[in-house]
Amino acid sequence: MSYTSIKEWRDSEWNRHDQSSHALNAFHDEIMKKVFDTAFETCGAPPCRYSWFVMGSAGRFEQAIISDQDHGLIYETDSEEARQYFMKFGKELADGLNEVGYPYCDGNVMSSNSVWCKSKSKWNEQLTHWLKEESFESIRFLLIFYDARVLKGEKEYIAELKQTVHDYIKKNPHFLERLLENTQHVKKAVGFFHQFLTETHGSHAGSIDLKQSGFFPYVNNIRLLAMKESIDATSTLSRIEELTRLLNYQQELNWCAAEFEKLLHYRLQYHKKMTENYDDIHYLNIKELSKDERKDMKQILLNGQKLQDYTQSVIKGTIHR
Amino acid sequence: MEEIMFSLNSVWLVLGALLVILMQGGFILLEAGSTRMKNAGHIAGKTVFTFGLASIVFWAVGYGFIFGGNSNFFIGLSDFFYSGEQADGMPYSTAAFFLFQLAFAGISLTIAFGGFAERAKLSAYLVFAILFSVIVYPVVAHWIWGGGWLAEHGKQDFAGSTVVHLTGAMAAFAATILLKPRIGKFNKNGTSNNIFGHNQVYTALGVIVLWVGWFGFNGGSTFVVDDGFFGFVALNTNLAAGAGAVAALIISWMVLGKSDIPTILNGALAGLVAITASCAFVETWAAVLIGFVAGILVFYSVKFFDRLKVDDPIYALSVHGAAGVWGTLSTGLFATPELATVGKPGLFYGGGFSQLGVQAMGVSVSALYAFVVSFALLYAMKKVMKGLRVSEEEEIIGLDVSEHGNYGYPEAFITNEEKNRIAN
Repeated sequence: MSYTSIKEWRDSEWNRHDQSSHALNAFHDEIMKKVFDTAFETCGAPPCRYSWFVMGSAGRFEQAIISDQDHGLIYETDSEEARQYFMKFGKELADGLNEVGYPYCDGNVMSSNSVWCKSKSKWNEQLTHWLKEESFESIRFLLIFYDARVLKGEKEYIAELKQTVHDYIKKNPHFLERLLENTQHVKKAVGFFHQFLTETHGSHAGSIDLKQSGFFPYVNNIRLLAMKESIDATSTLSRIEELTRLLNYQQELNWCAAEFEKLLHYRLQYHKKMTENYDDIHYLNIKELSKDERKDMKQILLNGQKLQDYTQSVIKGTIHR
Repeated sequence: MEEIMFSLNSVWLVLGALLVILMQGGFILLEAGSTRMKNAGHIAGKTVFTFGLASIVFWAVGYGFIFGGNSNFFIGLSDFFYSGEQADGMPYSTAAFFLFQLAFAGISLTIAFGGFAERAKLSAYLVFAILFSVIVYPVVAHWIWGGGWLAEHGKQDFAGSTVVHLTGAMAAFAATILLKPRIGKFNKNGTSNNIFGHNQVYTALGVIVLWVGWFGFNGGSTFVVDDGFFGFVALNTNLAAGAGAVAALIISWMVLGKSDIPTILNGALAGLVAITASCAFVETWAAVLIGFVAGILVFYSVKFFDRLKVDDPIYALSVHGAAGVWGTLSTGLFATPELATVGKPGLFYGGGFSQLGVQAMGVSVSALYAFVVSFALLYAMKKVMKGLRVSEEEEIIGLDVSEHGNYGYPEAFITNEEKNRIAN
């Protein structure tokens, strides 16, 4: 199947899969797997076993209708031949995804970038380096990597690499505090008078940044708690589910899943109505919500702040010690 | 003793004039910092040029219109082309007084030009500098300070919240309406864009220069140094500026969720503008309150004009207009019986509504006069001069090049080719 025909198929099948975030993401997976198969055919048989994984919102199974690509490759054999093959393959994947409708990643988190396309042993070295370096960039990379979910190929490579992360955190609990700092800055969306803090100028005036102010507090803090508790699940909802099975979190996080589901729901409903422009997609115009929806949204945002405060106290060890 | 006081008063007035003239430097920094690089040289240059022009006009007719004898309802009619002659019985050098008043006229004009920023032709600056200094400013100044009808009503405007700031702001308002918004300021769907200034440090330095200059503006307006009253005036001035900055920070944090720097800077200036009318008539606590209210008012005023789709690049309408109105009214509320050397005490000091009424009438009539006449003059200029505004191309390349042929920051705009040529 050519990329063009995948795109056509995607466009025609679209509205059959946009009823829920779950259905939508299952459909995204299907499309991305088709892209993979086509790239695979184009590049010929690989020289060794491998694993293709997605990260970012795709890794968390939380993609919006449009989202950019975030993915990487792990291959078994550390040889020049394998390197050349998978770099070429990675580029083919990125180009294919772009053609089908997943824009290139601004941050270059793609299999076509040697940082994200490595042999198993090199990946392990890199991960250890990220853990030890604790620089702004390495921590950002590590957080991105932690949402990795295998789409094609060997499943256990990612699990093994994540085990390295878990082991490190067990031995160096202070590291979580360093991770916490990286995600502490949240763009406030509810102000002193409990009013929405919308953009005041520019083409998004009157809107809130749903990604930064709505999703980030949930996604980032739940990820951090999952890292603390060595949870392998990648979607925010399944991470919440696993966390609430632990006694410590049962009470504190029992409200969390419902709020996050609502957030996914609002985004989906809103996106169905809007033009397909990746720059606009993160903004939610408050005027388009009904009175009840506004109230609801405000509560979701405030609860995001609450989750942030809670996570901070958990990570800093002031509770659950 | 009288001779010593005469000399001291004159020194004080010239010192005041120096501080007020230095405020032109503050305005250059404020305006250039709040606008884009491509217009910076133009803004600096036109400020010096128009102040020079206004000085000559003030000498020729402005001073006579404001303070001259044989006056009619609008203006006085003597002392044109002022010779430096000493007026009988004046306890300070008349020439020093002249210089001090000239500096004020210059400030009002510079405020008016805030509404021209980044899009008016240089020739429009030239013509309006003359017209404003002949027809607009002297009438309001004569009414309130030159013994005109508002002075007879006991209108309190110690150093010119109305005369200098509001008059300038009203002319700026007329100009922004006739000039229309800058290219790219408003979107088709009605939202507005932030056209960021190129140097926030300049803007803040501008505010500090103005703040210090204001001690000449308000303190100097005592004219005399007897009993050191200017010290009290300076104290009130500083309190209001501080309160304005604090209030602006608080309101911006509460409403926008962030401590917005342009808002803080506007708050300090609004406090200064507001206390200008009342600095000699109110107690210190009232000065703090007046400044504080001005800091909040200026924040909402900026939002208000933005919503009206009035493009006011350096917030002249809000800082000098809205705060000027508030400052003028504030003395009708807070003037104390001991300090109200002009007019009556305010509402909160047993004066009833009478002084507040005088203030309200004075501010409305003055604002209306300044707006209507400025609008008419600018409208006529627009017809005769075939537009007040530079062409779209000129606006895009910047007024530095279009109006003056040189960039204020040449190295920022020079092409690589030229750079290499110079280097070799």
